[in-house]
Amino acid sequence: MHIPDNYLSPATCAVMGAAMLPAWTVSINKLKKEVSRAKMPLLGIGASFSFLMMMFNVPLPGGTTGHAVGGTLLAILLGPYAACISVSVALLIQALFFGDGGLLSFGANCFNMAFVLPFVGYFLYKFIKDHTEGKKGEYIGIIIGSYAGLNAAALCTAIEFGIQPLLFKNAAGQALYCPYPLSVSIPAMMIPHLVVAGIVEALFTVAIFTFIKKVSPGTIYEGKKEKNKAVYGLLAALICLTPLGLLATGTAWGEWSAEEIQAVPASSGQPLGFIPEGMLNGINFEAAMPDYSIAGLPPYAGYILSAVAGVAILMIVFKIIQNVKSKNNKEIQ
Amino acid sequence: MPEWLLKEEQYEPIPDRDSFIDKSILSLLGILSRIRAQSGIPSGKHFVHAPFKVACTFLLVILLSLSKSLFFILTINVALLAATSLLPADKIFHILKAGFAAALFTLVILLPSAFWGNRYGIVMLPLKVFAAVTAVNILSRTTQWRHITGALKTFFLPDIFIFVLDITIRYIFMLGEFSLPMLYALKLRSVGKNNRKYASLSGITGTMFIKSKEMAEEMNAAMECRGFTGEYRKSGRIRMNWADAGYLLVHILALLIFLYLG
Repeated sequence: MHIPDNYLSPATCAVMGAAMLPAWTVSINKLKKEVSRAKMPLLGIGASFSFLMMMFNVPLPGGTTGHAVGGTLLAILLGPYAACISVSVALLIQALFFGDGGLLSFGANCFNMAFVLPFVGYFLYKFIKDHTEGKKGEYIGIIIGSYAGLNAAALCTAIEFGIQPLLFKNAAGQALYCPYPLSVSIPAMMIPHLVVAGIVEALFTVAIFTFIKKVSPGTIYEGKKEKNKAVYGLLAALICLTPLGLLATGTAWGEWSAEEIQAVPASSGQPLGFIPEGMLNGINFEAAMPDYSIAGLPPYAGYILSAVAGVAILMIVFKIIQNVKSKNNKEIQ
Repeated sequence: MPEWLLKEEQYEPIPDRDSFIDKSILSLLGILSRIRAQSGIPSGKHFVHAPFKVACTFLLVILLSLSKSLFFILTINVALLAATSLLPADKIFHILKAGFAAALFTLVILLPSAFWGNRYGIVMLPLKVFAAVTAVNILSRTTQWRHITGALKTFFLPDIFIFVLDITIRYIFMLGEFSLPMLYALKLRSVGKNNRKYASLSGITGTMFIKSKEMAEEMNAAMECRGFTGEYRKSGRIRMNWADAGYLLVHILALLIFLYLG
């Protein structure tokens, strides 16, 4: 679910980063009030825990493996505000030091995985736990919370991808960033998460929670009971988001196939009645280059560029060969 | 001698699948060696200072994302390749591997859209992704991470954030080293078919969490004893050296090319 750079437009990244600012501020203020100064190191260690948790591979049917995200688990164990900060820090380390997820898309990644995931997961868990009696309710809450949290995050990611081709196009009408509209991005993201990843997440969360509750029951975060308002707000937000999902089932505006476009009403209200010539002829791969702004540059610019590239590639090849050779020599000796 | 000692053993363990343990061990080892490797990176008077590196890498990633000119993207790619070629071979290998993996993934993802007629994305996006991933990897493989955290302080990030970031990197290492032996133990003790391995995995993660709580308390006590107030001070001002100047010049050039080409 880590969005790399250049899949989202810089404008989207800026908006998502701005959306995270209040979330971070509220979380830090809440933590300063709730968590005593003595517990501050826990935030960092919680972040390392959430980072390492993603290193644990879980077997999946079919012989492959996958890993859980653990956002809901962290929210249940440390509280949603601490989870928000911890996951954000883990994401920053992944982006800055491990090249996993982009620097610009850091805000968007935080919004999905450090805000939506733990908060949806935690408040659903809390809502179900507070409204049912006994242990069963708690476990049902964990399962539903972690499953829904992960899928809500995946839905947000899909929507961020899906709005790119609607908003950012070049003069030729081609998408500048992620080219897939909501009708493609939502099913592509949601089906694997609903079918596989969500279940892995729920199972992993329940298993670890059960273990910790058995071994060290005092370490689990106890939130206050009155959190209903937040849950209703969240549910309302999710309901508002569902039309976007419906949009995905039909053909979205502007994405008709050649046959459909005949029936689309033109400006006079009458159906268009014809297929635009360009669409009938299909895709022209020949005309690729004129779209780029290479024209107008002096020809030697290209030569210089390829010369530098050639030298760099040669140096890289020689160094790697040398490295392999010296390793082989060491082994022989 | 008892008779059973003389009998030939016919025990053959039933084959069992435990690739998920191997994979977990490998990814943990990868992280640990990565953290270990970065502390040996040279730094000093004659190297580019980390704040310049962080700021310029960020600038480069923004320019790459904004640019619509193939020539600009190619120029940056070539410049990054040239910079990579000056590094030692093992670093080159890792940096290129990450870049190519990301670019190839993007290419595969974009193939269907190319068939729908989006010729812009299929060429531009993989090149942009390659450049951005390479730029970030060059930064993280040529700079000690504590210098990068220090650089963030120069950009006025709040202390609490730097504090958490600092602890996180250290404890990824500590907790990783702590949980690795548990995975080894699980692997060694699973002789033959062990159906309870999956349950043990949650036990390992749970233990890791409890251990992290203990470590946090111990660390707080240790910090209090040493009089830590939660404030970070940056020691001394940075003096520009020739390496800094050259590094900045290259990036100003990139900015000019971007402004010229768009």
